[in-house]
Amino acid sequence: MKLQNHRLTFGLIIALALFPFALSWLTGEPIDSGTPKFWQGMLAQVFILAVYAVSYDLLMGYTGILSFGHALFFGAGGYTAGILLKHAAWPLWAVVLAVIVVAVILGLFIGATSLRVQGVYLTMVTLAFAQMMFVLSEATDFREWTGAEDGLQGIPVPAWLSPTQQRLMFYFVSLAFCVLSYYLVRRVTQSPTGRVFIAIRENELRARAIGYNTFLYKLLAMVASGVLAALAGMMNALWNLNANPNMLATSTTINALLMTIIGGAGTLSGPMIGAAFIHLLGYGLNAAFGPRWPLLFGLAYVGIVLFLPYGFVGAWRSLIARMKAKRA
Amino acid sequence: MTQIFRMWVAKQRATVVTLLIVALAVMALFARFEAKVAVSVLLSGLTLGAIYFLVSSGLSLIFGLMDVLNFAHGLLFMAGAYLGYAFYASGFGQALDSNLRFAIAILVGGASGALLGAIMEWALIRPLYKRPIYQVLLTLGLTFVGTEIIKAIWGTIGYFMNIPAFFNANTPNCPSPSLFDFLSDHCSSILILGRPFPSYRLFVILFGVLAFAGMMILLQKTRIGIIIRAGVQDAEMVQALGVNVRRVFTGVFALGTGLAGMGGVIAAPIIGVNLAMGQEFLLQGFIAVVIGGMGSLVGATAGALLLGLARAIGDQLVLGGLQLPWMEQAISLSPSIARASTVLIMALVLLLRPSGLFGKKD
Repeated sequence: MKLQNHRLTFGLIIALALFPFALSWLTGEPIDSGTPKFWQGMLAQVFILAVYAVSYDLLMGYTGILSFGHALFFGAGGYTAGILLKHAAWPLWAVVLAVIVVAVILGLFIGATSLRVQGVYLTMVTLAFAQMMFVLSEATDFREWTGAEDGLQGIPVPAWLSPTQQRLMFYFVSLAFCVLSYYLVRRVTQSPTGRVFIAIRENELRARAIGYNTFLYKLLAMVASGVLAALAGMMNALWNLNANPNMLATSTTINALLMTIIGGAGTLSGPMIGAAFIHLLGYGLNAAFGPRWPLLFGLAYVGIVLFLPYGFVGAWRSLIARMKAKRA
Repeated sequence: MTQIFRMWVAKQRATVVTLLIVALAVMALFARFEAKVAVSVLLSGLTLGAIYFLVSSGLSLIFGLMDVLNFAHGLLFMAGAYLGYAFYASGFGQALDSNLRFAIAILVGGASGALLGAIMEWALIRPLYKRPIYQVLLTLGLTFVGTEIIKAIWGTIGYFMNIPAFFNANTPNCPSPSLFDFLSDHCSSILILGRPFPSYRLFVILFGVLAFAGMMILLQKTRIGIIIRAGVQDAEMVQALGVNVRRVFTGVFALGTGLAGMGGVIAAPIIGVNLAMGQEFLLQGFIAVVIGGMGSLVGATAGALLLGLARAIGDQLVLGGLQLPWMEQAISLSPSIARASTVLIMALVLLLRPSGLFGKKD
């Protein structure tokens, strides 16, 4: 079973790596224009969103911390990268480091304050922090730096990574980013530390009784998922060539929730599938129903919260388990 | 005598603290500005506080009774505003006098909020009482769905709701020299200490006071109120005593969301009807409830008032420019800074006293 899973993962990665070439061969169009270029872009966005969803799964699905302020990290990553590239002209590697440092600081600050309260109080505090950043991103006082409500437009992305000129390169970089993030989070969740995360989700009091400092572990989960979300936000800003207040809006947090819940919280692969599902299906629905298509996802989300608490992947796993039990 | 006073202080600590904060804020305000400016800032604060109260009281009661943090409260506030506006601006409504139309619009907002809330609780939240975290997930999802529905019906542009004629006259005698004159000339603003203040906002304050009084009477003087207060203490025990708690839950949910729906219509002539209002007032409601303490009506009221005053004073300070002693020049900031700083108040309160001013410790 386990070996099979590994094979599936590797097969998928290879298939995704070959995808641009296969599509170019099938359509007969050159790899850097037309249909192949378009689909490379679509999938690159899916990879970025998948990392964002996985980062949320680490926090919510594994550690059981229901934060409604995840957009804050996503937006912070985007704005940090945008401001440093545009106004300070930093090299990309330094920008990546800066995004990580900013995310760690934010994660420590928000974790240290919000983790003192629990449950619904935590959702309120995190929502409030994110909303504060949203308001500040729209504030006209910092227009020079952030572009206020217009957002930070025209981020200069290094030529070799330009999503418009070097689309194939961007595709592979975001694929590598996605695979690496998945691998890292998987390692974390399967490590002893990850087991403590799960223990905290299942019963925090008991985890504390065993002798774990649950506050530190929760803080760690917050910082780790924050860093990952900020990196995803940075990639998103690079892809869009802008960072805008919408990245910090509650709808961005809801997006993470939609992907995680629809795919299956606490399964890691679920949120990634959820990200692909929402982005690709959303594209199709947008063509079919116009701009009100998110309504369908909202309804699907409500249905899944009510009837399938573990999402697609959870439902699939329990179906397999049931079939096996029947056969035995 | 001193001992009685000390006991009273110990018992009413939250009230004393609240009054002290208010007194300090008011004193600072009068020291910084002329009396007429200070009074009008105070009245603005009370206006905001009254609207916040309509949101926070329901949030607090619902949480106190059934432990559901209703993230859809802002949605119902917004839905009330949109439906009330739809009636107010509709062809049918136009036949009526604008005051009557506005009164009916408030009822429409309240009724639609209550009805939607009751349906929501009955159909969607009730199955989830055993899975608490999923209630929060659900109500947030409902906000998303509801906002999309509103977008689909009314589009993404905002609307402006006219102030009803009773508060909107603009004759040469305006603004009214006093409250008494207002009753005959219905000017859009009234002179208070020689500075005009919008008369509609005074009505909002009055409405807030009446809503508070109504809720207090309901909770303190009626049988339903006894059941609700007992339910906040221990819902299972009330159930064991033979009360159908589920029905009370639905009723209180509808009451809370109905108040929010009314609040939406009341706020509409001031802030307009738009898609951002739900989110904005939900957050302010949360902040008010956190300051005051969950599950207490008095707490929700105190929180709403403190927050309203803080916002009004903050806006005034920010607009007038901020000059700290070591600064050579005042720096002027946008109101966004004042908006963002209220969030810090909430964080501060949660860190110092997680149960809020009036909340019970657990």
